[in-house]
Amino acid sequence: MQNNQNDEFYLRYYVGHKGVYGHEFLEFEFRSDGRLRYANNSNYKQDVLIRKECFVSESVISEFKRIIEESEIIKENDSKWPAPDKIGRQELEIKLGNAHISFTTSKLGSIHDVQSSQDPDGLRVFFYLIQDLKCFVFSLIGLHFRIKPVN
Amino acid sequence: MSKKQTNDNADRYKGDAGNFQSLESDEGPGPMKSIEGWILIVKGIHEEAQEDDVFDAFSKYGPIKNLHLNLDRRTGFVKGYALVEFNEYAHASDAINGINKSEGICGKKVQVDWAFKKPPKKGALKQVKKQ
Repeated sequence: MQNNQNDEFYLRYYVGHKGVYGHEFLEFEFRSDGRLRYANNSNYKQDVLIRKECFVSESVISEFKRIIEESEIIKENDSKWPAPDKIGRQELEIKLGNAHISFTTSKLGSIHDVQSSQDPDGLRVFFYLIQDLKCFVFSLIGLHFRIKPVN
Repeated sequence: MSKKQTNDNADRYKGDAGNFQSLESDEGPGPMKSIEGWILIVKGIHEEAQEDDVFDAFSKYGPIKNLHLNLDRRTGFVKGYALVEFNEYAHASDAINGINKSEGICGKKVQVDWAFKKPPKKGALKQVKKQ
């Protein structure tokens, strides 16, 4: 484990479903040491599994920490969020300093799914944070490997 | 935690566990070149900054290959960071030094650093840090 020089940091996001085209999913994972893993799988049109790995700098990690802290996702909980279903599931796991969250919910198609849920405020924090994280990861992976990540 | 690394991979990903592609490199420390250039992260960017502002600040140091100034998906303002890619290491390195010392972008100081680094030495991944 990391020593006390850095706050412990871990971030993992998964979104996917199993359907006609196999297990279609997107997942990325960050560790304190900067290792970023990205995986994207779809069997649509015989598409293959894309798996990339790289190491981001401490500056990038600290920017992810800032974005997460500002979102205040740590204050939320998923007890009233819609459960994963046939349409899909999302998982978000974050360790940031002493805080640890592990959320599981269904896919969220749009802000309307958020508004009509039992915890619109909490789910809205999640909804926008996920978009910001994906945007950042897609830029990093796309630029580093010159590939176009699929949403 | 040390020896469990491969188990970790197998749990997370069925099938072709642990087979992640990466760009070739020697081991760290130091910045890592991306597929065709050197990518910098810029932080602390003014909320209302535009791509042109970032472009103008950085193109003083050399031709820019790519620039991502991502927006906050909720507010529509910039999220606060940008990724800037130069072809040449020297241009990127000059930009880091020059821009960190400057007034920044839109009058707000920014912090520039390399975005990617070489994989840490293999030994360092498995062992706990020195006592």
